[in-house]
Formats: sequence, C-alpha cells, structure tokens
Amino acid sequence: MITSLGYLASLVLALLLQIVELPEWLAIARPAWPLLVIGYWALYAPNAPAIASAWLLGICCDVLLNAPLGQHALGLVVVAFLIRRLSGIYTLFPLWQAALALIPVWTLYVFLMFWIDGLARHAADSTLRWMPIVSTTLVWPLCAGMLDSFRASRARSRNRMRLP
Amino acid sequence: MNTSLSDSTSNSLFLRGPALGVKLTLLVSLSILLMMGENRGNPQLQTARQWLSWALTPITWAAASPAEVVGGVDHLRSRESLLNDNRELRERLLKQDARLLRLESLEAENIRIRELLASSSSLEDRVLIAEILATSQDPYRHQIVLNKGGRDGVYRGQALVDADGIMGQIVQVNPGSSVALLITDPDHGIPVEINRTGLQTIALGRGDGHGLSLPYLPGNADVKVGDLLVTSGLGGRFPAGYPVGTVHELKHAGGESFMEAIAYPKAKLSQGRQALLVWSERALPSSGTDDEPIAVPIDLPVKPESRSPATPAAAPAQVPAAASNPTSAPAATTTTTPSVPPSAAATPPAAPPAGKTTAPPALAPKPGTP
Repeated sequence: MITSLGYLASLVLALLLQIVELPEWLAIARPAWPLLVIGYWALYAPNAPAIASAWLLGICCDVLLNAPLGQHALGLVVVAFLIRRLSGIYTLFPLWQAALALIPVWTLYVFLMFWIDGLARHAADSTLRWMPIVSTTLVWPLCAGMLDSFRASRARSRNRMRLP
Repeated sequence: MNTSLSDSTSNSLFLRGPALGVKLTLLVSLSILLMMGENRGNPQLQTARQWLSWALTPITWAAASPAEVVGGVDHLRSRESLLNDNRELRERLLKQDARLLRLESLEAENIRIRELLASSSSLEDRVLIAEILATSQDPYRHQIVLNKGGRDGVYRGQALVDADGIMGQIVQVNPGSSVALLITDPDHGIPVEINRTGLQTIALGRGDGHGLSLPYLPGNADVKVGDLLVTSGLGGRFPAGYPVGTVHELKHAGGESFMEAIAYPKAKLSQGRQALLVWSERALPSSGTDDEPIAVPIDLPVKPESRSPATPAAAPAQVPAAASNPTSAPAATTTTTPSVPPSAAATPPAAPPAGKTTAPPALAPKPGTP
C-alpha cells in the first residue's frame, strides 16, 4: 500500500519536475524526468504496472506541454517496453554501467519525439534537441539511487514490523 | 524476502512474453490514433484535452509556485526603492498622459479623414488584461497559458499584445484558461510591414527563443538594421499598426536573389506576468461582411450622371461589387482609374488591401467583356 503510494508520488514528482519553470539556458538541458522514473520502475520493479502508467504519464505530459495528444505517451510506452524486455541484461550491470548502457534507449526516445514533431510539421532547432540525452544519463545514477534507497527503507521497515 | 522476490520474477516471467507485447501494440496504436484524430481536429479530443488540463491544474500551480516564491522576495524591498519606483511611474504616467492627449486629437482627426475617405474606421480595439499562468517548459514550443478562457469571450486566433508590441495569438481555448502561441515559435508566422518603407512581408519565428526571421525579402529590398516592423493587418488576424520587432541583422548570401533579415521582437516575451487580449474589429465578422468595405473605397463623388449612360460596362461591374447598392456600381466603374491609387496609398491596413487585391481583377476584365 505504502509502496504503491510512493510509486504514484514518484510519477507525480516526475511530472512536476518536467514542467517546473527553469531559466532558459537550463531548460534546454532539462533531463526527461518521466523517462527516468518510468525507466527505473520498469527495470527494478518487475511487478509495477510500468507500461500502463507510462502511457498515462505520457498523456499527462502531452496535455501539460501542449504537445500532440499521444506523442510522449508513445515514446514512454516504447521505452518502458524495451527496458522491461532487456531488464535481464540491464540488472546485471552496476549502476553507472547501466547508466551508459541505457543511452541508446534515451536516444530512441528523443528521436521518437523529434520524429513525431517532424510529422506534425513542428520545425525546431535540431542541434540542441539531443541535450536531454546527456542530462538524463548524468541524472540517472542519482535518480536510481534515490528511488533505490526509498524502496530499501520501505522494505526494511516492513521487515522490522514482521520480525517480532 | 529473497524467495518472495524470485517468486514474483519467475511468475512474471511466464506472464511477460505475450502480455507485454499485446500491451505495447495496444497502447502504441492508441497513441497513434489519438495523434491522427487530433490532427484531423476531432472535437471530442479537444474537450478531452480541456478536461485533462483542468484536472491537471493543481500540478501546474505546484510547478509555478517556486517561481512565485522567487518573485515573492520582491515584496520585501526597501521603502526607498518603492518610493523611487512610485516617482518614476508617476513621471511616466504624466508623459504618457500628455502623449495620450495628442493621440486623442490625432485619432479624432484620423476618424474625420477616414470618414472623408468613406472607409471603415476601426481604430479602437477592445482589450482584456490576462494573467500569464505558465510558460511552456518544452524549449521547442514557445507557448504561454493565460487565465482567461472561453467564458471571457476569448476566441481562437485572437491577438495577444503587451505594452511594447505583439506577443502572439491564441491557439487553444479552455473554459477558464487559454493557450497562446508566441511569435517566436517556429510554427508561427505574422504578416508585417516595414514601418519606414511600407514594404510588406512575413515574419516567421526562428525557434531559438528570441528571434524572428524575414526570409522572403527580395535582394534589393530597402531594409536597414534598426527598421521597425509593424503588423500589416493582412489576413485579418492581427490588428494593423502594432509594433512587432526591430531588424537586427541582414543576411545576403552572394548569388541568391532573396535576402533574409533577422529581427528581435519588441514585446517582452519572457518577462512580465500580464498580457492584453485584443479584439480586432475586422477579425470578428466572416468574409461575407468583410467584402463590404471593398465596394466603398472606390468612391462615388465625381459626376455619376454624366458618364453612366455611356458605359455598357456598368452591368458586369455589379458582379464583383455584389453587396453594394446598384446605383454606386456604375459610378465606381467610371471613376476607378483616378481613385484607386489614392485609396491604395492612403490606407495600408487590412481591409483596404483586401479590396485592393480584388478590385483590379474585377476591373481588368471589364474592357474585354463588352
């Protein structure tokens, strides 16, 4: 119950961080927070309903960012599916190696966004578009570590209650 | 604990294969359907989006609160700086009042002159002040959310200005809020004219956050750095005569017949929390009523009786000027040649150019047809 509350809270927090106002030079390199959180849950919590929540979170992103309805949803669902599928490989890596190994997945996501924008005739500066890949990779160890410690503390408190 | 974890993974291993793939295809195709539906302008999706954005307003507020806290430090300023501000504002108000007095007399004069020209006068625009609730945090979409929506009479395509110039236009109307596209967005184009020369062109957003691009300038166009761009009012979406930006840089690649100008917008797009919504009088009526002023500027004072019998061209003339009364139509044909150039020169804003473009084709076939 508490973990599912924490799960929801992490998703809402990701949405908040995605739309919180940043200075312009920072906003270009804003890490894709929904991507990070969905990626973490898809990778390390095999029981979490990652794909369905990826879609819902993506729809919320689309509404909040005024993107075509379904754009971020599509990208997040594809990413959640890929990470779920490859989780057997990814969980073998330590945290920082997983961060490097996940770069192709983030690239795929950014490319999907870029491609859909192109289909919707939304021309945009294409050189800086790839910045979120770098920032997402850099933030991944931090984000994963924090979510890990959150889950570990939950598990510990549960065990402590069970033991006596 | 360990056993339960491995249990759950092995369980989901069996479930995973088909269920995951089915979920993926289902949700991906649903997303694609949504995008296609919205591209077609499905009204149900519009309302769904409005409901969702209404449901997500707490998140928007929460995301805007850090900026408000930073802005809240503003309240803790010293009394002296407030007094200074107050004095500066008073001085500015005085100056502006003085200018306004002059403007009123000019406006009255302009209305008189326009009445002499018998063209429609729509100098006064209705405005509404809107608060900027949020700015789009996607760096490739220059949009802002305003706190006025359909309930306040906001409509799609409405022009948005601030104290210095045009900001953008409304692209989506929710009941209590609306979304505006800024002129620097790469999807945005605005018809402008160069104030010094009257050269008309289109300014497109560059998408880098603070620039406009004028790509369709002929190579020998008379444009200088520092020229003011104002809205030309062509297309009827933006009211004419509002400042848009100033030319900052000219690019003329050797051997190409077009040159490009880069302009910076006048409006402070990324500062301030208020904007003005403008109801431009010409944007409201449909094209049917827009046609009326077309017939009028071709004026009728000069001797309608003397020449009308001489021209059988009078009959075809009524076809283009359909809405106007038949008595003015023959007069229009006889006096067109002298009257069109002055009306074209005197009134650059929206409706008359529309008349300008339709009038010559209407006149051209007349000598041929009879």
